Amino acid sequence: MPQAPIFDPAKKWQNFHQTYLQIVEGTWDLHLPRLAADGATSMEDLKETTRQFQALIAEARAKNLPLRAVGSRWSLSKAPTTSGWALNTNRLRGRMKVAAADLDPAYPGTADQKSGLYLFQCGNTVADVNKVIEAKSQQRALFTSGAANGQTIVGATACGTHGSALDFGALHDHIVALHLIATGDRHYWIERKSRRVMGDAWIARLGAKPMREDDDLFNAAVVSFGSFGIIHAVVLETAPRYLLETNPQTLKLDENLWKAIGALDFSAHPFFAGKGRPYFFQAVINPSNDEVLISANYRKDCPADYVPTYGLMQKDGALGPGFDSLSLAGVILDHFKGLIPRFGKAAAASLFDTNARTGTPGEIYGYKAPQLHVASGSIAVALPDARRTLETLIQLYKDIGPVPLVLGCRYTRRTPALLAFNRFDIGLMISIDGIDSAHSRAFFAAAADRLEAQGIAYTQHWGKSNAYTADRVKAAYGGNVAKWRAARRQVLPGDSDRALFDNSYIAERGLAG
Amino acid sequence: MRKRHLFVLTASLATGGCMQYLVQPPAPSLAGSPHEVTANSYLGSELQQPPYVLAKKCVDGEQLARVIVKRDFGQGLLSWITFGLVAPATVVYECANVDEPGLGNTSGGAR
Repeated sequence: MPQAPIFDPAKKWQNFHQTYLQIVEGTWDLHLPRLAADGATSMEDLKETTRQFQALIAEARAKNLPLRAVGSRWSLSKAPTTSGWALNTNRLRGRMKVAAADLDPAYPGTADQKSGLYLFQCGNTVADVNKVIEAKSQQRALFTSGAANGQTIVGATACGTHGSALDFGALHDHIVALHLIATGDRHYWIERKSRRVMGDAWIARLGAKPMREDDDLFNAAVVSFGSFGIIHAVVLETAPRYLLETNPQTLKLDENLWKAIGALDFSAHPFFAGKGRPYFFQAVINPSNDEVLISANYRKDCPADYVPTYGLMQKDGALGPGFDSLSLAGVILDHFKGLIPRFGKAAAASLFDTNARTGTPGEIYGYKAPQLHVASGSIAVALPDARRTLETLIQLYKDIGPVPLVLGCRYTRRTPALLAFNRFDIGLMISIDGIDSAHSRAFFAAAADRLEAQGIAYTQHWGKSNAYTADRVKAAYGGNVAKWRAARRQVLPGDSDRALFDNSYIAERGLAG
Repeated sequence: MRKRHLFVLTASLATGGCMQYLVQPPAPSLAGSPHEVTANSYLGSELQQPPYVLAKKCVDGEQLARVIVKRDFGQGLLSWITFGLVAPATVVYECANVDEPGLGNTSGGAR
């Protein structure tokens, strides 16, 4: 007998990093049914979980309670919050290899892509995905990754996590199909018309309604922060397994380095001499001085017998910041601004890896020491605006005084998702990371105003602290907002259907209703 | 300046009264939400209330993924003024996913 969902009536719900508290009407914990005798994830598991989700949606609707699925509670924004029931999905870690026999004949993937498709249930973390596909038996890898691995794959992608590879889009660009549970009696299998993946027979066995008459519905649902219903599972395309070699160094910010940071021109600075264009490039600018922590990761072949090892490491007896050290640091720095540059340097060292390493993407973008009360927001701009944007933010830093934040620069390609953070052909994604404090919050609040005053087009990360308003969302996405809302009405046609998945986060951004 | 000194003194006192230990494996796999239990230790741990902190929310064979033992300023102060005879603390635990589910195959069976 599968385990039924278990209700926890606790009213207080906090995100993982404890940057906010949300009052809910309780949390339902769902469990992986594990109905197959051999323990492998089966179609029956997917159907039973679907049935449980639908029963909870129907019950919530009967009680007039909103609800949302939540995974790792990783978001620093309130995107995943609800005032009703939270459905905890982090035990739903079913995973399947997609069999060639189940593919749609129209799937346009290459032979390699056909052999590298996986279905993951919503509770799998990015760490889980890496462990599964990077195993010696699978020999696959993600094309790109966020800096952390604790988010669920659905939580990270639904909030538009941008990734970090120079020639790939966002993390959600791995997804080619998704299973959406929208109401108590309707669930959908959504793909792009231009990239059909699963065969009709398989979708019929699942009992889902196929939705692939156009690309817009998929492009809307894939970045919808839980607003379209519950994304129960996703199918990912993967890359052949590879290694990344990284050797971070701290450099002075001079004109040659600006060419790399501001224009991805790696020809001028000696750091890149003889190595060429990296697969992944990151520059962490400390605005309190002219130091930049550079990471250029180069792609290498991965030996077939390579066995990745994952997990946090520390030396016995090492001294470092505690789990909750940043909350006190934030209070101290609000009163002693003179200490901020020193703390900024320490925070950068704590938040970003500085050791030379070689490993799979899952090893390189692996476990981080957990820390509460981090401050993090991200802004994306087009590459031609990169230097001007960074100089504007550095000037803002100087204008409002030292702030315990650093500017992490990463670069990605545009994605087709309608409300994608990766909105620009080549985008600079500026991750503003540090310690939660009054000064940090003032910086976040002023950053968007300052870019607008400079006439710089930008987007903001949906899953991090952001200053989006309805007007700013319209300015960033134009006609895509109407398309996104129309797509939402396709899967949630009734006002009351949509009200279940509305929350204050999307209401404040003009996306509810 | 006096205000600053007062703040530093308060912060020192507050941090002196607080402590927090996090125990977790190198690669935790969290199941469910964090659960908080208030525990009291009496007479230098001769008595404990509850006698042991039972992770009741870990079901179906789940073990523990993470335990945080913490003491806020009030709890620390009480422990200090009673010379440890009354030592309250808050224990936060999170369950661990039982194991890695087997990799299935959309056509059925394991792969």
